[in-house]
Amino acid sequence: MVLDCIGKRCPLPIIELAKALADKPVGFTLTLLSDDPASQPDLVAWARMTGNSVETTEPKTFQITKLTD
Amino acid sequence: MALPHIFEVTWPEPTKLGADSKSAALLLNEARETFSSHLGVRSDELHFLGEPNLGFHLGLSGLMSEDKNLVYSNIDRMEVFAISESHNSKMLQVDSNGQLDFSKLQHNDVVALQLCNRETGLIQSGHPENIAGLFVDATASGTRIRLPQNWSTALWDSTSWAGPGGLGIFAVSKNADWKNPLPHLDARINPGPTSLALIVASALAIDSWVADEKNLAAKIATINSDIRKYISANIPNSDLAPGGADHLISASFLYVNAEQLVTTLADKGYPVDSGSACSSINMQPSHVLAALGVLTQGNIRLTIHHATTFEQVKEFLEVLSQTISELRSR
Repeated sequence: MVLDCIGKRCPLPIIELAKALADKPVGFTLTLLSDDPASQPDLVAWARMTGNSVETTEPKTFQITKLTD
Repeated sequence: MALPHIFEVTWPEPTKLGADSKSAALLLNEARETFSSHLGVRSDELHFLGEPNLGFHLGLSGLMSEDKNLVYSNIDRMEVFAISESHNSKMLQVDSNGQLDFSKLQHNDVVALQLCNRETGLIQSGHPENIAGLFVDATASGTRIRLPQNWSTALWDSTSWAGPGGLGIFAVSKNADWKNPLPHLDARINPGPTSLALIVASALAIDSWVADEKNLAAKIATINSDIRKYISANIPNSDLAPGGADHLISASFLYVNAEQLVTTLADKGYPVDSGSACSSINMQPSHVLAALGVLTQGNIRLTIHHATTFEQVKEFLEVLSQTISELRSR
């Protein structure tokens, strides 16, 4: 699954990410595309706060794994 | 002294002859002694700046030469970042508690040390030693933290003791290897002139600030800890930046638009600042929050003033909690 948030400003990418993950099982992965300058630091903080995982694979591309319900 | 009276007695140029100028010179000297005693530096080491942020250039560039390195940190002020571009420089990274490791410095390093971070209140506990020069950014710490023994240059901002804006207090230690980086013909450190009215008003402000601070420090510390406890316990998905100085708190909330949060709080009578990208001019998130790994979205910065009461804080926290729930449910 690819969640395209290009052009969307903070906090929209992370709100949409949380909505997209809400009904998914643990272990689910998706690719988030975001060019917002706050997304890099905030996805790392979001992962720490919510117990999920984020990896920056290339610029503006984030690999998200759901680790908790 | 009331403000109109300050303007009446400070118009003459203190360096000229004549009775009016002599009394203006006396006022300037008294102010100098007042700052000297509260800031812990000799009065002949102090200089007044009408452009407070010019002090970053005076303080850092004046200590630099070809054979030296400028060492600064990723939570320093943007003014320091700008100055680093003109010199051999190295940026240190803070750890997740905002602390710097000064153990690997060289003897030819000139270090920029921020005693207190103005966004988060974070206090740097270690001090660099055996270096070529130490610039101390005391613009947020004000009278609260003493300069380290080995300081070379230092900068304060009058607003940190509730004095008038547009006045910086700059100091060069007698022991510093310092050269004026500005074009100059004589020994004056800044082109000036600096408003004597602002200097006198700020000296009055620092006197009453220090007196109040003694009585109110315990109250402010309790309010800080009450706010932190409330946010952690009652507002889910919140992230508090590491702190230190009791009058400052930086808190971020997941899934909240900071611009809406700040506007709503302002409408309800609570003016707060923010480090989020959507509330900054250049649309970039706060480099301090990013460096600390703290969430940058939905961020607010709180300043606890001397006059802040427990009742105000209690009401504010209820409004904050309610506002965040409303914004999240939109």
